[in-house]
Amino acid sequence: MASQNMDPAAATSSTALKGSETGGSAARGSVSKRLQQELMTLMMSGDKGISAFPESDNLFKWIGTIDGAQGTVYEGLRYKLSLEFPSGYPYKSPRVKFITPCYHPNVDEHGFICLDILKEKWSALYDVRSILLSIQSLLGEPNNESPMNAGAAELWENQEAYKAHLHTTYKN
Amino acid sequence: MAAPVNAQNPSKTWELSLYELHRTPQEAIMDGTEIAVSPRSLHSELMCPICLDMLKNTMTTKECLHRFCSECIVTALRSGNKECPTCRKKLVSKRSLRPDPNFDALISKIYPSRDEYEAHQDRVLERLSRLHNKQALSSSIEEGLKIQALVRPQRVRKPQQESDNTTFSGGEDNCDARSHLSQDSAPPLLHPGPLLNEAVEVGAGPSRSKRARDYSQTRYVKTTANATVDHLSKYLALRIALEERQADGQTEGEAGDDGGGGGGGVSLQNVSEKQYTIYITTSGGQFSTLNGSLTLELVNEKYWKLSKPLELYYAPTKEPLQQ
Repeated sequence: MASQNMDPAAATSSTALKGSETGGSAARGSVSKRLQQELMTLMMSGDKGISAFPESDNLFKWIGTIDGAQGTVYEGLRYKLSLEFPSGYPYKSPRVKFITPCYHPNVDEHGFICLDILKEKWSALYDVRSILLSIQSLLGEPNNESPMNAGAAELWENQEAYKAHLHTTYKN
Repeated sequence: MAAPVNAQNPSKTWELSLYELHRTPQEAIMDGTEIAVSPRSLHSELMCPICLDMLKNTMTTKECLHRFCSECIVTALRSGNKECPTCRKKLVSKRSLRPDPNFDALISKIYPSRDEYEAHQDRVLERLSRLHNKQALSSSIEEGLKIQALVRPQRVRKPQQESDNTTFSGGEDNCDARSHLSQDSAPPLLHPGPLLNEAVEVGAGPSRSKRARDYSQTRYVKTTANATVDHLSKYLALRIALEERQADGQTEGEAGDDGGGGGGGVSLQNVSEKQYTIYITTSGGQFSTLNGSLTLELVNEKYWKLSKPLELYYAPTKEPLQQ
């Protein structure tokens, strides 16, 4: 299952690699610049329910948090995620995974997330903010057609039972 | 009201809404009035959505008319899907793009000196990175505290408003932490976004404090209402640890040189929100312990309810809780 998650872009991105990685240190500079811009707008915007900040002095690895949206079974739960930015960012998507274990049809036991915009539907216009907002809404609206966690997808039908299971297994 | 008129002569009457009937025409601007446009709103119009910088050699998509830097869009097309990054319209090749020199000309009219603009951007970003660098932050806190410590002996217990005001910007804005922390009386601070400024007064309750000596005066800390009691407690522990270190004297020179990271850093690393417990007085004059996870906003709503700065008390946590 996890192999599904292993960056499908890798197969198709041999050309992409040429574009994004030959730049070397110059490219890294422009990636830092964009990440700093994102950090600034994120700090200014003050979105409710999401947050993100570089983990340490390394601007290429961030820790984000998502609060379950109101009115969904995830309401009241907070999840931590890690975001790792490749040197080809924003042309290549960051690697995003849950640190807090997350019981969800589209999240596997290692925290890998099955979300099209993190893979084939990635666009250079997405940023940390839009990724976190997308994952937040994925929590409340799973794609049960192609689940990574089949059990969760099945249980989703019964929201009461799902919520009960979710809250008993939730560990921060 | 206008309906009967319409019924009689439908083809010759406009149906006006109430708003349209009553509104006054906008005066045309004929004199030298200038209308200010904020640089930020202007910037979002002139920005490349890929690099988030000002457009450089603008390219416009022929079909959907979205703009990017030439370099950015070419790289995006080479490395990803063949679609417009903004709206996903198919972009078969570079030929689906067109240079937009008019737009470049417009930008250079607004920002005649691009170098100057970029230098400014760099300065802003550099300040930001200084702020998100933890070591720099802690050294700037320390510096601020030193200055305060120097100034403090000269002022003995002044009235409340003039007491030791510290503006603590915990990284929520992109201002320079150094300048705030070293200021002695806090100027009103404009926090961007939804931050609620809240002054929190931390003093030592005389009945509880075992170490009343230097800390018996009230101190004001201006912080965001989103901060929790734990944040406050940790901040307090850090301040006390720093001041004790300075009081020791011998470590002072050392700490001054390396800006806080090394030196007597060991004691700073042990700083924890568990060292001190925060209390609030209830109506009966009792001290009531505050849970560490409460935000100051909640404390203010639940316990304080007055329209003056929140006043809290602290005391060292009793031994069993410490570890």
